[in-house]
Amino acid sequence: MQRREALKSLAILTGGAVLIPSCNFEKEDILAAYSNLQITATQQTLLAEIANTIIPAGQLKGAANLSVQDFILVMVNDCLDKNQQQQFVKGLQEFNAFSKKISGSNFSKLESAEREKVVTQGLSIGSDADENQKIIQEFLSITKRFTIQGFMMSEYIMTEVKPYSLIPGKYNGEVLISSISNMKING
Amino acid sequence: MANFNIDATQQRTFQAIVIGSGMSGSWAAKELCEHGVKTLVIERGRDVKHLRDYPTTNMLPYEFEHRGQLTKQIEEENPVVSKCYAFREDAMHFFVKDKEHAYIQEKPFDWIRGYQVGGKSLLWARQVQRWSDFDFEGPARDGFAVDWPIRYKDIAPWYSHVEKFAGVSGNKDGLANLPDGEFLPGFELNIVEKYFQEQLKKHYGDSRHMILARCAHITGNLEYYKQQGRVQCQSRNLCQRGCPFGGYFSANASTLPWAEKTGNLTLRTDAVVHSIIYDEAKGKATGVRIVDTHTKQTEEYFADVIFVNAAALNTNLILLNSTSNRFPNGLGNDSGLLGKYVAFHNYRAGISAEYEGYSEYTITGGRPTSGYFPRFRNLHKQETDFLRGYAAGFSAGRYNYADQSGIGLSLKEELLNPSKYSNWSIGSHMMGETIPKETNYVTLSKDEKDAWGIPLLKVKVEYDDNDEKMVKDYQEQMTEMFEKAGFTNIRVRDDKRAPGLDIHEMGGVRMGKDPKTSLLNKDHQLHACTNVYVTDGACMTSTSTQNPSLTYMAFAARAAHHAMKNQKWGKV
Repeated sequence: MQRREALKSLAILTGGAVLIPSCNFEKEDILAAYSNLQITATQQTLLAEIANTIIPAGQLKGAANLSVQDFILVMVNDCLDKNQQQQFVKGLQEFNAFSKKISGSNFSKLESAEREKVVTQGLSIGSDADENQKIIQEFLSITKRFTIQGFMMSEYIMTEVKPYSLIPGKYNGEVLISSISNMKING
Repeated sequence: MANFNIDATQQRTFQAIVIGSGMSGSWAAKELCEHGVKTLVIERGRDVKHLRDYPTTNMLPYEFEHRGQLTKQIEEENPVVSKCYAFREDAMHFFVKDKEHAYIQEKPFDWIRGYQVGGKSLLWARQVQRWSDFDFEGPARDGFAVDWPIRYKDIAPWYSHVEKFAGVSGNKDGLANLPDGEFLPGFELNIVEKYFQEQLKKHYGDSRHMILARCAHITGNLEYYKQQGRVQCQSRNLCQRGCPFGGYFSANASTLPWAEKTGNLTLRTDAVVHSIIYDEAKGKATGVRIVDTHTKQTEEYFADVIFVNAAALNTNLILLNSTSNRFPNGLGNDSGLLGKYVAFHNYRAGISAEYEGYSEYTITGGRPTSGYFPRFRNLHKQETDFLRGYAAGFSAGRYNYADQSGIGLSLKEELLNPSKYSNWSIGSHMMGETIPKETNYVTLSKDEKDAWGIPLLKVKVEYDDNDEKMVKDYQEQMTEMFEKAGFTNIRVRDDKRAPGLDIHEMGGVRMGKDPKTSLLNKDHQLHACTNVYVTDGACMTSTSTQNPSLTYMAFAARAAHHAMKNQKWGKV
C-alpha cells in the first residue's frame, strides 16, 4: 500500500521518472521507484511479457493482468542481496540478445509458443554453461519464483479464485485424501 | 488517566507500583487492583490497546508489500532481532529494533525485547507447562546453584489460579514430572503424532512420553471468558499480530483490561525506570525514579510496595542502577550476587525426518500448538555424563503442493490444482536446561549510557561443556527414537545460535533460603529490602526445561497476595 502511495507521489514529483546517468542504457529514463535497480520502462514491459509467458492469461487472468511485474521488481529491489540484484538486472538487460539467439527475434515480437520456448530454454541452462548463459538462467529463476508468488498471493486469486480465509477451520489430523473433493479450477 | 502534570507528592503516591506491564507485571497489577489496591503500572514503551493497536491483525497475505518477508535493509539494520522467528513483516512493530536500545555483548547474546504495553505477552509462543518437584528439587539434588526456597505445593494453587483465568488448553496426561492443571479441551494430535506416541510406548514403555503441548488458548468455558471480552481461539496462528478474538492470553487482552475495569489502575507509559528510591531512615524503598522517554524529564512516584517485573535482564539493570549509601552495589545486593547466575534455555539442536506411512492421510485446518516431550533424561536419577536434561517440541505435518517444473498454462493449472503431497515431515527442537553459573552475568557499563542517561547493560552469558554434551545427547536420543519409529531421511542440526534467542533468559536476582547466597526470599521479597518484590524471570534459581512464562505469572499472583496480606490490604 505504502509503495503505491510512494510511487504516486514520486510520479507527481518527477513527472513519472527521474534521470539517473548510466552508460549502459540508450538514454532511457530509469524508474525511480526501484532505487536499487537500474530498470527502464521498456525493461519493465519486457519483464511483464516474460511473467505473462510463465503464467499466461486463459480462462483466468494471467500475470500481466495482475501487474505481477511490479511485485517482482519490489521484491528484487527490497528483498534480494546486491549480488542477486545485479544478476537479475544483467539478465534482464541481456534477455533480448538471448531471445534473438534462440529464436532470431526480440522477445516482444514473438508468438506465445516461441516465447515459451525461449523461457523454457533459458530456465534449463545448466550450471556448466558459460557465465552469460548462467545469468539468463539466474534471472529467469528469480522471475519465475516471484511470478508464482505474486500470482498466487494476489488479491485476485485470494479473493475471486481460491478465496483465502484468515480462519482456517477446525484442525483435523486424520483426513483421508480421497475424501477431499476439490472442484478443478481451469486456468 | 491521571494528570501527570500535577506535581504534588500526593498525586504521585500509590499503594503499589508495578514496573513492567507484560507477562508477570500485568498479573501483579491484576491481583492488586482486583483487591482494591491503588496501583501504578509503569511501562517504558508506548501504549498498545487490545484491538485498537493491532494494525496488521486482519490483513490478508496480499496486503503485505513483501508478503510477510523482511527487506534486506531491515535485516541489515537489525542483525540481532532479525534472527527471531516472529520478527517478520506482520509483527515487527512489536519488537525492539537493534539501534533503538543498545546493549553490550561481552559474549554473543541475542537479546530479544518487546517494549510496549503488554511487552512480550503479545509475542510469546503460548506454551504453558507446569514445573514439578523434579524441577524445584534439581539444584539441591544435583548440587548446583542454591536450593529453591519453595516446592511444587507452594505454587500449585497459583498455577491453577492463573491457568483458569488465562485459559489453558490441554489434556490430563497423568505425568508426575509435568503435573496436570486446570485444562480446557485439548487440541488434537494428528495420525502420525499418535503413531509416534504408540512407538514410544512400544520401545520405551512408560519412560518416555510425547504429549499434546498445553497452550494458553481458549477452547471452552466460553461464558467465563466472555467476562474478559475474550472468545474461543480460531486457530488462525497469527497470534504475534495481536488477536482480535483474545483467543490466546496476552496482558493486553486479559489481565490489564481486567485491572483497568476496577478503577484502581493507573498506567504510566513511555516512562523508563531509572532506579528504585531507597530511604535510609525508613530502611525501605519508597518509590521509583523514571525518565519520560520523550521529554527526558525525571519524575518520581511513590508507593508502599514495589514490584519489579521489567523482564529478566532489565529487572537486573534497574536493581543494579538503584544505588544508595546502604546499597552501593545495587538494591538488596548484600551478597554481591546481583546480576550473577544468569541462565537460559539451550535451543541449539533440532532434528527433521520424513515418514512414508499413512500416505493416504493428511491434515486440514489449523492448530496453535504441537507435540511436547517432557524431560526424560536424568529424571529419577543421574544417568548421563551431563547434569539435568531437555524437553523437546515435536510435530508432524503434511503438505499439498504444486509441481512447479513447467511454465505456461500447464503450470498455471497445476498451481491452482496442486497434485502433489509431501511425505509426512517430522520435526523437533530441544529446550535444554542450562546450569546457572557465577561466570554468566550481567553488569552495568561504567561509561556508556543510553539516551535517557541510564547505563548500558553488559551481558556475558555463554554455553558450557554441560550444554555441549546435552546437544549431542539430544541428537543421539532423538535419532534413536526416530529410527525405531521407522522415520527416514533423519537429519540432525546444531545451529550454534547464541544464548538469548530462546527468549528465556532467567536469573540474576535469584530466590534462596540464605541472604548470603541469594537475593530474594521464598515470597519473592528482596531479603534486604522486603517491600520490593521480583517475580519475573530474574527471580529464577534454576531454569528447568519448561517454557517459563506460566511460572512467572503464578509467582506474580502469589507474591501480590503475599504483599496484600503483609500490608493488611483488601480482602485477601
